[in-house]
Amino acid sequence: MSPDHWLLILCLAVGAYGLRLAGLVGGQAIIRNARLKTLLDDLPGCLIVALVAASLANSDLTVWIAALFALAVAILSNNVVITMALGFAAMFALQYFGVSL
Amino acid sequence: MKQGFYGILPFAVGAAAYGFAFGILAAQSGYPWWGVALMSLTVHAGSSQIVAIERFGADGLVIGAAIAGIALNLRYLGIIASLSALLQEIPLWRRLVAIHITGDENWALTLARHAADPAIGAAFLIGSGLTMITGWTLSTTLGALFGQSMPDLASYGLGFAFTAAFIAMARAMWRGLRNIVPWAVTFAVTVLLVKAGVESAYAILLASLIGVAMAALLRRRQKKLESAS
Repeated sequence: MSPDHWLLILCLAVGAYGLRLAGLVGGQAIIRNARLKTLLDDLPGCLIVALVAASLANSDLTVWIAALFALAVAILSNNVVITMALGFAAMFALQYFGVSL
Repeated sequence: MKQGFYGILPFAVGAAAYGFAFGILAAQSGYPWWGVALMSLTVHAGSSQIVAIERFGADGLVIGAAIAGIALNLRYLGIIASLSALLQEIPLWRRLVAIHITGDENWALTLARHAADPAIGAAFLIGSGLTMITGWTLSTTLGALFGQSMPDLASYGLGFAFTAAFIAMARAMWRGLRNIVPWAVTFAVTVLLVKAGVESAYAILLASLIGVAMAALLRRRQKKLESAS
């Protein structure tokens, strides 16, 4: 592992435990803070949508089609593993059969 | 504690499938199996790990990957805070361990069982948490071992498995029509910024903040309308 691989684990571990500790110390004050509640409610969803958008932005139409298919699977199954597997299978099939759009 | 240990098993199996898939992806982005084991044991946050690994693989920037991963974990502030009353009954060192092994699944199950039977509390949380972190570490490690022995999947569009995972996570976070405008704005702004040549790590952060601001604005307007009528 490179120093960067180690550093990423360290940052994530400290960040994850830090947030859990802040939750323990902050307790009820966090739950009652309306502004913080808005941030906690809305940031994860927006962040995930931005991640999807960033990976699609410079991709060709094939990837957008696979993404629409994955979205349909996600809506129907609401399951991460099934969506990953079928999404990857769809992407693989589109490439294998040489669909270039 | 035993009750929690066994009660969470069905959920641990579900998380293990996800963990196995994550392990494959992490191995393909250059992490050895023991690195994946170390990460799962010390971070213990599935979606945060998958987001960070994808970002790290995309641009190799530790800071961007860490910010995205940590920001996704903000919900743990609320999750642990909601357990504060329940955790008061145990000594401090146990509390410090309990918060690390608490994840979405055993948090939800503990609160649900606690509502039905107040005798169920911190011991159940710890028992179920031990099952979850053991299952998570084992399954991600096994996935990494499996992923190491597989051919380079990147050329077959492996990166898309991450995108598909994010799409499924978004689906799970969907809270109804009020999400549409903030999410659409976030999506459009990200695409525009990336197309304009902005580094994707910054585009993601900026667009998410604009989306959150939009959600806050809409909420305020809704409240005003409600109080006016």
